[in-house]
Order: sequence, then C-alpha cells, then structure tokens
Amino acid sequence: MIPFRLVVKNLVKHPLRSALTVLSLMVAVFLLSTLRTFVVSLNAGVEQAKTNRLMVQSAVSLFVYLPDTYKAKLREVEGVEEIVRWNWFGGYYQDESNFFGQFGTDPAALLEVYDEIEVIEGSAEDFVGQRTACMIGQATAKKFGFEIGQTIPLVGVLFRRTDGQPWGFKLAAIYRATQKTMDDQTMFFHADYMRESLDQGEATGPSGVSVYVLKTAPGADTTEIMRSVDELYENGPQAVQTTTEAEFNAQFATMVGNIPLFVNAIGLGVFASILLAALNTMLMAAREQTRDVGVLKALGFTDFAVFVVMLSQSLFLCALGGALGIGVAILMDPFVATVVSMMLPTYSVTFDTLALGGVMALGVGFVAGIAPAWRARNLKVVDALSAVA
Amino acid sequence: MSDPIIDLKGVTKTYSRGGETLAVLDGLDLQMDRGGYYALMGPSGSGKTTLLNLVGGLDHADRGTLQVCGEDLDELDGADLARWRAANVGFVFQGFNLIPVLTAQQNVELPLLLSPLKKRERHEHASYALELVGLQDRAGHRPKQLSGGQEQRVAIARALVTDPELILADEPTGDLDRASAEQVLDLLGRLNQELKKTILMVTHDPLAAERAGTIVHLDKGQLGSIETKASGAGAPA
Repeated sequence: MIPFRLVVKNLVKHPLRSALTVLSLMVAVFLLSTLRTFVVSLNAGVEQAKTNRLMVQSAVSLFVYLPDTYKAKLREVEGVEEIVRWNWFGGYYQDESNFFGQFGTDPAALLEVYDEIEVIEGSAEDFVGQRTACMIGQATAKKFGFEIGQTIPLVGVLFRRTDGQPWGFKLAAIYRATQKTMDDQTMFFHADYMRESLDQGEATGPSGVSVYVLKTAPGADTTEIMRSVDELYENGPQAVQTTTEAEFNAQFATMVGNIPLFVNAIGLGVFASILLAALNTMLMAAREQTRDVGVLKALGFTDFAVFVVMLSQSLFLCALGGALGIGVAILMDPFVATVVSMMLPTYSVTFDTLALGGVMALGVGFVAGIAPAWRARNLKVVDALSAVA
Repeated sequence: MSDPIIDLKGVTKTYSRGGETLAVLDGLDLQMDRGGYYALMGPSGSGKTTLLNLVGGLDHADRGTLQVCGEDLDELDGADLARWRAANVGFVFQGFNLIPVLTAQQNVELPLLLSPLKKRERHEHASYALELVGLQDRAGHRPKQLSGGQEQRVAIARALVTDPELILADEPTGDLDRASAEQVLDLLGRLNQELKKTILMVTHDPLAAERAGTIVHLDKGQLGSIETKASGAGAPA
C-alpha cells in the first residue's frame, strides 16, 4: 500500500514553493505549445501541399517578375491543365497597420485550381464576371467588417494610382479555406484589372507575374512537366524555376532563416531551465523528508512504497503544471491566432501539440523526481532516522 | 528462559569510521522473555541503540543470529523485513518522529495502511489507540500543535495500533519534562501489564529504568549485568 495522502500533504506543506514550481511548468508548457504551433503552422503548407500544383517563378528570385507572355506558352506544355497567375499587390486598407495579403489573379482559374476555396457569402460568378470585383477570406472580412457589395479602397504601395486615389475593389465573394494550404485572410482580385490600369497609365508599378501556378492533369508526370517548363525558358528572356507546391512552401517558410530549428531550440531551452528548477524543488523536498522516509520504513513501508511516494510528488506537481499550461494554451489560442494572423494565418494549436506539452511536463516530473526518489529508496532506516531535517 | 521473544547469539556489529573499525556490539548473547518489560542501560557508545535497531530489524548484524518474534532476522531482507516490522514491532523514538504534515489521527492510522483493514476500520482502530493514550480530543491536531508529552503519547498510540507483540522504545522520555515522562512511563507500564506487550526500552534515566522488570546493562558492546525485580510492576510474570 502506498501512503498517497503524504504526497499531497507534503506538497501543501510548502504552498509557495509548490505553487511557483507549478506556475513555472504552466508557463513552460504554454510556451512550448505556442512555439510548436508556430512550427506546425509553418510546416502545414508543406505537409498538406497538393501534388497536382506546380509553381513557376523566376530562377533569380521570387521578387523578380516573369513576363505576362509566358502564360500562353506554359499552357502548351503537355500535362498542364490550368494556369493561375499570382501577383503580389502589397496595399493596405485605410491605414498601414491594416495589412493583409492581396493578390491579382485569374479568378475562374483560381477557383478551379484551388478547390479548397469555398465561397460562403456573395457569389463566385460575380467575382469571376466583374472586372473590379474581389474575393476576401472570412477572417479579414470579419476583422474589418467588410460586406458584400461594398467597395474596398486599398492604397497601393508597390502599385500606385497616378491620380493619387486608392484602388477600389468591389467585394463580390467571401470565402473560407477548407484546408491549410489556403488561409482565410487573403484578398484576390482580377490581375487583368491591374494590368490594364498599368497599360493605360492609370497606375504605376512593376509589370509581370510573381508566380504562375500550374494545375497538372491527373496521372501527368510532374517531374517531366517541371523539366519541360524549365527548359522552355532556359535561354531567356527570363529563366524560371519550377517546383512542387510543397517545395515552394518550404522555401517560403525558410526565407527568414531556419525558423523551426530556432523555435524548437527555444522550446527545449525553456524546458531545460524548468527541469533544473523542478529538480531543485524536489531535492529540497527530499532533504526535508529524509526523517519521514526513515519513519515510513521503520513502520513497515517497503523501499518501493517510499520510492513511489517521492516520485509521485514530482509527477503530481509537474502534471498539475502541465495541465494548467495546456488549459492556458487552449484559452489563449484564439488570442494568439489573432496576433500572429498576418504572419501565420493558419495558426491553431493542435491536440498533438497539447499532448506533447503534457508528455514533456510528465517527463520533467519523472526526471526531476527520479534521483530523490531513488536516494530515498536506498536510504538505510537508521541513517534516515538520524538525519537532521 | 522458557519463552524468549528475543534470542541473540554471538551478535556482532561493527562500524567503520575514518578507516578504523569499531565493534559496537561484540559477540552479544541475550534472551528476553515474551511479555517482559526490559530496560537497556549503559554509557553512551555501549551499543544500546544499535542493539535496539538490530532487534527491530532496522539494521543487520555482521555476525551472530537474531531470533525475534519467532523469526530469524538474518533470513529476511528488503520487503520481507519491512513486512515483518509492520506485523511484529512498534517503535517509539526519542524525538517522537511523527510525520509533521499529518494529524495525530492520520499518524496513528499510517501503519494500518499496511493492514487489510478498510478505511472505516482503520479510522476506528486509530481512534481507539488514541483513546488508550488519552488523546482522543487531539485527534485532529498536527504534531506542532501538541506538547512533547502529547506527541510521544501519539507515537505510542501509533506503535500499538497494529497490536504488535514487541514495542521498542529508544529513550522515550529523553526529550520530556518529568511530568510528561511519568505519563509516558505509566502508559508503557500499562501496555506491558494490561495488554501484555513485551517492551524493550533504551534509557539513560534510572527512574525510567526502575519501571522495568529487568534492567540489562551494556558496556562496550558486551553484556554487563542483568537486574531482575522479584515482583511488582514490570516484574516477569
């Protein structure tokens, strides 16, 4: 029989010390969950990328535009079923802080190639059929209170109107993303509207296309298509680099460095620190309970029972801290998601991440408790009883 | 001696300190009768507490045989020895050694966790033990809320709650004032006389030793003399 009553009683004996240890675990688990969710969100686009989409960009850089004329030749490549242009717009709504992603695109092709886009308000037909129409993700629409039919003024940064006025886009559709390969934040409008404005001198800005997205036919050899496309423009005028969507997303995610490694290193660092704090707590507790260990053994409790009592204290503290940390991570999830929505629109803490936090907390409890518990187990009764607390 | 509860033959215990080996008990032969009340006396370092620890199964002898409560303690180890202690021996320590985070009731109940008793039965047994030592009204008090004498009486209640044959007391009055010491000694006397517990008590106090039926003197790890009362309290039956 294990005197589990002692586990809780001993922890309550030093409420401040126990509370601080629990709180430190709580913060650590919350941080770990948050940091890991960053990594998971960054990798989501890679892991869930569609295999039937290929990305064509400048071989020099993502920031070098490709000629508009490439679209026609790309359509002739065998195995290419549809093409969508993505043109980065980079404007803002009313104030520079009101930033969200905006792309000039080919609406009909976009909805065909990105079947994870589901129009939930307004009309896809209106978006496709009206030259100045736009479609916006539900999160952005909700954030700014956009309603179907209203004209959204966007101040262009890269593409400025020559009359000094903002661009006007009529909201025709609001969408939601059914997969993490798309987010709920982006605004799409007709690339042709922007192109025509530039051609007619109504606006200034770089001409060309940021990325061509190719939808491949079922059963098509994507490797062969990528090779064909790259060969097509091997000698200019602008060499291209064709990648799978997964490769493209991975490249995009690591543009500012190896974030997953950096974030994971911080998470591990936090846990290493907490482990030392928990270990210190348990060593102090074990030292104070040395005489109690002797009493328990003298009364007939086995070495194993004493071991369990000591280890349980550490596990209980850390499990409590871990559970609180998981609770905080769940409660804070919507808030954190809002804060990082521009950088990580798909941010959402997952069950796996929470479970990992719980396992890490228990791991800390085990590692911090095993040494004092083992010492207590091996302590001779007479030595324990003669210890000065 | 017709019915020894403690039977030691050639018991030797040595300690090493600073590279030097010190024989605390040196080939000790000793027998104690079931139901007796024994006081173990002798100067510091004579081996009293070491002997008590060996008899209580808290330590092992280097040589010799120890038969206590019908069990050869040399044959027992680890969990078996722990179970033997739980079933046969009650300990009363000089420093009381109550668990500070538990109430008097919970301290007394603690050894009963090792018994097959149900929760309600454990509670009843512990309450009865506290009643025997006159502390039923202090059941909910923590050790630091009790006087030294009360703490020791709780410790005695804890020692007897499992109804062991043998109660080992190491300087049970050493930390108490005279009045409290008398109460504790009265209690130990009652346990011996009324409940027929065998008591082995280490003490420096001649007045405490007077309560015992037999006084065993140790000197330098060897048996000195044995004084036995002819009759009266503590005398062998």
